[in-house]
Amino acid sequence: MLIVDDEESITRTMQMMFEERGFTVQTACSCAEALRALGNGHKYDAVITDLNMEAEDIGLEVARAAKRATPAPVVVVCTGYANVNNARVALDMHVDYLATKPVDLDQLFSAVDRLLARRRDDPASMMRASKSALPRREI
Amino acid sequence: MSARKQVAGRQKYSRERKALVVHRDMHALMNYQTQLSAAGLVPIIARDLGTALAAMTQHFFEMAIISAQINEGGDGWALGGVFRMVFPRAYVAVITPATTVETLQMAINSGVTQVYEANKAPNEVVDAIFQELTPAHGLLQ
Repeated sequence: MLIVDDEESITRTMQMMFEERGFTVQTACSCAEALRALGNGHKYDAVITDLNMEAEDIGLEVARAAKRATPAPVVVVCTGYANVNNARVALDMHVDYLATKPVDLDQLFSAVDRLLARRRDDPASMMRASKSALPRREI
Repeated sequence: MSARKQVAGRQKYSRERKALVVHRDMHALMNYQTQLSAAGLVPIIARDLGTALAAMTQHFFEMAIISAQINEGGDGWALGGVFRMVFPRAYVAVITPATTVETLQMAINSGVTQVYEANKAPNEVVDAIFQELTPAHGLLQ
């Protein structure tokens, strides 16, 4: 799993919480770092990204890059600054989950577990509008 | 190729493509029914959750147009989420009174493909849906 946020306390907390649940977690503190991680061949089951980092709404670039990956990971956007414009873009690019800060971690765990389970059971379920089916993957 | 194989092939490609329309307003239902029929789909209509769920057990759908409010406020989102689980490749549209951050968040988190405002005419909604369809939705094959 890749967790992207420019606030180190958030990435560290989320990393700890997800590692406790059995995930292997990598963190990035900027969009640029996240794009490098996504671009250098790492395969992630899930990408959780903040929206506003080095620029407003730049987390959408992370989401877009993650959606282009093969197989596409579950993509979650967490933000305290959701508005109609960025939420519309997130919907149009088929982000899998939009969480508003302060994030309810139980809800987030539940959503990630559900989305990963659905993808395991039926890879096609995660391709709302993508053009290729996703292969089965292990968490 | 034998005649039997040809018939089987023709049936495969001419199978009916069905759309579920769930709205408590009969006038809206009829309008969507007309528009979808004109677009070559077989519309199955429902005015309540029970009928909609029953229809989902009886038909294979490739599209749904669901009002955000069926029996009570917001139940259309839950139905959209269930529809997405049952028909993962389908196009799911939800009709909302207004587009807000909350409705867009509900759409994303329910797995809905797109939201349209209730003041948009059914023909405009259906046109917009067909412009958005990709091969992944199956309807363009």
